[in-house]
Amino acid sequence: MKYTDWPLSAPVNITWEITRQCNLNCIHCLSASSVASPGELSLKECKGIVDQLAALKVFEINFGGGEPLLKEYFLPLLRYIHAKGIVTCISTNGTVLTDEAVAMFSNNPLVNVQVSLDGATAEVNDAIRGEGTFRKIISGIGLLSGKNIPLSINTVVTSLNYHQLDKLKELATSYGARLRVSRFRPSGRARESWEALKLEPSQMQSLSEWLSGDPSILTGDSFFSISQEGRRQLGLDMCGAARMTACIDPSGDVFPCAFMQSDEFRGGNLREKSVKDIWDKAPAFINFRRLEPSSCRSCPRFDRCRGGCPAVAYFLTRDLDSPDPECLMSWNRESNGAG
Amino acid sequence: MSLRLATDVRVRRESWGLLFYRQMPHKLCFVKSGDWLQPAHFDGTWDWESVAGDISRRTGTPEEIVERSLSRLAGRLMKNRVISDEIH
Repeated sequence: MKYTDWPLSAPVNITWEITRQCNLNCIHCLSASSVASPGELSLKECKGIVDQLAALKVFEINFGGGEPLLKEYFLPLLRYIHAKGIVTCISTNGTVLTDEAVAMFSNNPLVNVQVSLDGATAEVNDAIRGEGTFRKIISGIGLLSGKNIPLSINTVVTSLNYHQLDKLKELATSYGARLRVSRFRPSGRARESWEALKLEPSQMQSLSEWLSGDPSILTGDSFFSISQEGRRQLGLDMCGAARMTACIDPSGDVFPCAFMQSDEFRGGNLREKSVKDIWDKAPAFINFRRLEPSSCRSCPRFDRCRGGCPAVAYFLTRDLDSPDPECLMSWNRESNGAG
Repeated sequence: MSLRLATDVRVRRESWGLLFYRQMPHKLCFVKSGDWLQPAHFDGTWDWESVAGDISRRTGTPEEIVERSLSRLAGRLMKNRVISDEIH
């Protein structure tokens, strides 16, 4: 049995979308954030959830949204989490950083910060994240740089920016940050921009080769690990949703992953059930752990990837038994067959 | 040598053994140790010899067998920078 099949008593990490409020309106936003959701959790409720996560020894909480720094109680909540010794990663658009936030992140061994930037130039970034955002984001990165904060710049790789990856790495390095690349997935507003922004097979192949040649690039994304041998050593090599991770949305709904926030994958709400209850007993989670697309079983890589990203498969085909439509193995097979 | 987690490492108990988490760079280490090892063994108050004695007492497994297993595990944990190599 593969180690990822060993049952865990709790998630290793939690993705927590603390608010849907965002001052930007990015065309690929996975959660289609703009205004706060009705019924977002209160600070008191969040602290109760943190107490549960601490008791379960969840190691890490990754905050996103929405823009987490727009949540009025975000910094007090972070303080509460750090007092419990839980590691945090804050994913921010970098445009609303305050002196208080920067001071709290500085020299803090429990903080990692990830700033989203989708192009090495204003022309490319602003086409995705909005007019004038490049300048503001770079300014935010400047505020965080040199403050002893583990800092990464996160780029969702699309057809608009994939040719700028080397420049993005240079830019990150110039601020003492590392470049992290994430996969573009058709959830949230990205469902509407999918056709325009998705990578073509040849671009995906180039991306795969580029990643193979540079182990310093962070991915944190199972997809990039399944696509080539070298990166398997750097992180998860299959989908960790409901196996190692889960996502809490702003109103306390729990899902296997941030990209699977549909009713059919809702494990329960933390106002009604405990984290442990949902993790152990929610049918959505139990079913998710059993996902194994039947058409992938004859693939030599099946034991390593188990079908890739269910989110991409589901949103493009509405069929969880489908393999990842962007699987490089499938493309190679198809092109060899066609040739 | 006392057993102590490296500074950015945490550990928790699972049904099959221990799960180690290293913050930077990210690393998970799955140790299928069943009931042999406890997170408390890595709190800095134990050494491998006393851990082996504890396991042997609790499980009835001869100490030399336990020591052989622990020796291999120690190498793995050290290689993965999960435990510190400070001498106390």
